[in-house]
Amino acid sequence: MTAYVVRRLGLALIVVFGVSVFAFLLTVVVPSNPAMRWVGPHAKLEQIEKARIELGLDKPVHVRYFKYISAFLRGDWGVSIRTHQPVLQDIATYLPASVELIIFGMFLGFTVGIPLGIVSAVRDGTMVDHSSRVFSLVGVALPTFWLGMILQLVFFKQLGLFPLAGRVAMMTRFTAPIEHITGFYLFDSLITGNFTAFGSALSHIVLPGITLAAYPLGLSARMTRATMLEVLGEDYIRTARACGLRERRILGVYALRNAIGPVITVGALTFAYSLAETFLIESVFTWPGLGQYASKAILSVDYPAIMGVTLLVAFTYVLLNLLVDLTQTFLDPRIRLG
Amino acid sequence: MVGKISWKAVFGLVVILIALVVSVAVVSAQEPVVGVYANSSEVVVFWDPSEGFSNEVIVMNEVYETLVRYDIVTGEFTPVLATSYESTADGLTWTFHLREGVKFHTGGEMDAEAVKFSIDRTIAGEKGAFYIWDPVESIEAKDKYTVVFHLSYPAAIDIAASAPYCAHIFDPDFSDRDWFYEGNDSGTGPYTIESNEGNEIVILKKFDDYWGGWEGEHFDKVLFQWVPEEGTRRLMVESGEADFCQRLAASELEALKGVPGVEIVSVPSFQSLVAMFNTAKSADEPIGNPLVRKALLYALNYDGVVEGVMGGYAQQSRGVVPLGLWGHSDQVKQYTFSPTTAKLLLEQAGYPSGGFKLMLTYVAGDENERRTAELWKSELAKLGVELEIRGLPWEAQVDLGSAEDPNNRQDIFLFYWWPDFPDPHSFLSQMFETQPLLFNFSYYSNPVYDALINVAKQKALLEREAAIELYLEAQNIIMEDAAGVAIYDMSSQRAKQTSLKGYVDNPAYSHVVFWYNCYREE
Repeated sequence: MTAYVVRRLGLALIVVFGVSVFAFLLTVVVPSNPAMRWVGPHAKLEQIEKARIELGLDKPVHVRYFKYISAFLRGDWGVSIRTHQPVLQDIATYLPASVELIIFGMFLGFTVGIPLGIVSAVRDGTMVDHSSRVFSLVGVALPTFWLGMILQLVFFKQLGLFPLAGRVAMMTRFTAPIEHITGFYLFDSLITGNFTAFGSALSHIVLPGITLAAYPLGLSARMTRATMLEVLGEDYIRTARACGLRERRILGVYALRNAIGPVITVGALTFAYSLAETFLIESVFTWPGLGQYASKAILSVDYPAIMGVTLLVAFTYVLLNLLVDLTQTFLDPRIRLG
Repeated sequence: MVGKISWKAVFGLVVILIALVVSVAVVSAQEPVVGVYANSSEVVVFWDPSEGFSNEVIVMNEVYETLVRYDIVTGEFTPVLATSYESTADGLTWTFHLREGVKFHTGGEMDAEAVKFSIDRTIAGEKGAFYIWDPVESIEAKDKYTVVFHLSYPAAIDIAASAPYCAHIFDPDFSDRDWFYEGNDSGTGPYTIESNEGNEIVILKKFDDYWGGWEGEHFDKVLFQWVPEEGTRRLMVESGEADFCQRLAASELEALKGVPGVEIVSVPSFQSLVAMFNTAKSADEPIGNPLVRKALLYALNYDGVVEGVMGGYAQQSRGVVPLGLWGHSDQVKQYTFSPTTAKLLLEQAGYPSGGFKLMLTYVAGDENERRTAELWKSELAKLGVELEIRGLPWEAQVDLGSAEDPNNRQDIFLFYWWPDFPDPHSFLSQMFETQPLLFNFSYYSNPVYDALINVAKQKALLEREAAIELYLEAQNIIMEDAAGVAIYDMSSQRAKQTSLKGYVDNPAYSHVVFWYNCYREE
């Protein structure tokens, strides 16, 4: 197991290195003028030229790359051309918001999607199955920004049940400010006993969470249904039933355990994907997350920020893949690593 | 039994209700009065007051102050950190008398040395809008509360001293760039920075020792939030979550009209949409022919743009200097929409049926620019001219416009221009003066024009009328040579709560609210 993990981590480094080269070259190839962005609008030519030298943009590409990577490995991820803040600091600011939203949304999506998939598989061919499949398809197909806006119109504007945007009510910042421990508002407010802020943070995460949950809900429901149908047709399930085991035990212990593997894999990949791809949801709900940061970085060709986010997401992908593979061995002892 | 349960339940309910009421009362008593500004872009880009050049104008002008402030209503300068000032007859020496007893947020007292330090540092840094101090040769702290500017040529230093960028005074003892970028300030303004979340949410709190005092009603805090989504900004204003929003698309503004408690404030801005023609292309290229360029100007449906694209929130420009800024003149030649004239000009140029293609670039994502270009394209198509429209990120648009060979550049460069400080020279020089390429995307070079605007600049202070005449002549040269055109002068539409009182829009401080002057009427 240890050797396998070490080997996979070594491969991960190679993958991340390849991604870094590719991403860096892309930022160089795409037409842009970071020096102009750095000095701001209406800047004079001399100011832009001075900034170009200050930012090291006058150096050859390979020199710039090696300088960037060596600084990166020392913990200096560069300074954002757009925000003028250290990229690592920016990411540390934005990442918790995204992770909190993704965890909430994925939890919601999978806790609804997996049981839905099980029910759909068990009642294969019935109205329940058909309805569940349509529901899953809608969840996957709906554009997230559209869904988010509809939820805002219905639950905020019409019904007044949930807040419009942001992570916490404006007044809560002043009357019950959340102590920054992890950056996860729900967690930080709960462990510090700030229930006012917890309530506010919880109500604020519901609508963006539902919006984000739609896709993993649909995906997990469909995948669970498909794998469950396959497993439920196996001989050992028929045997278990013949032996008189309770249906709930058969489904929950024997069938689901064998069917859940691919769902977990997809879930992990969806999590990593969501880190930078939730920008539409974050934009609609003014959620200050990594997705928005990444999208702004791309639009402004803010290459230090692009590199930072790209490498973070790449590393998260490979790490999550490794964790999923390890998890599979616990779920299915027949699986051997290596 | 039922009776006992009922009494216990009632008693418990009463206790809970009392607790709730008390807690709400306590919370209400503690709640500060907070003004909320929903911004369409990130709140702060440059934290250093010597580098200001971008969105942070809305925050910086709350926490920092200038010597004087330009009042667009009266056209005069109101005292801020300086109580009075005068200049010598030759305009080469300007003396500012400072307000006494003004404290920095960091504890020190504002004096002449601090003013000298602040402006010297800005000039030496050569960042942001530092060039507004170009005429300054030296600054002298004559005594504790007197600052003297010695100029190399006559200039209106009060304009520079009132600028929204790079004219702010700060504490010399707290002027480290890294310290500023950590989200700190050392200004004298009524508000100081309380917190910053990733430049997206900036909270200001009132500075108790502000020299202006806190008599009357004021906001205790101001929250600036970047809300990128137009619909979300509108809903924030509609629901009362935001007191003020500086920009919304025309469709969102329409949706807000008639909403109780919300008003749309339409005010002139100094911002114009400008189309620059590539005059550097060879003469055998259509755009290189002045007759073709004039035809293009007659082919643009200006009223269609103003009404259809801008929803009436603009007016056709006359000349390059926008309405409201000195130097603007109704006597500048103005092109009108006349397809017949356009066709005649094309015939004279040797293109009776059009038959050529032009490329127009604009800033991707700007709907108003795109729709203006589309309208132009449709009119040109009727004349047999194909207009290719390319939306590009600003840097890419500039890169294309800076190509080595002029024939590889765009034919028409569409972008917005606004002044760094309220002076027509900002428009006429940066966009059309012969210079190493930067914003002169018409690549226009005319020594007569250059001389006119530079003489006007020298005369602006002491011979204002003569300067205005020279700027008029210069603008007519641009119109006659058809180097480019300002299509419309935008008006700014602010969406605000009717309960937000005291707000006066000042185009010299674009998007700035000056929250100290405002209050919420309950």
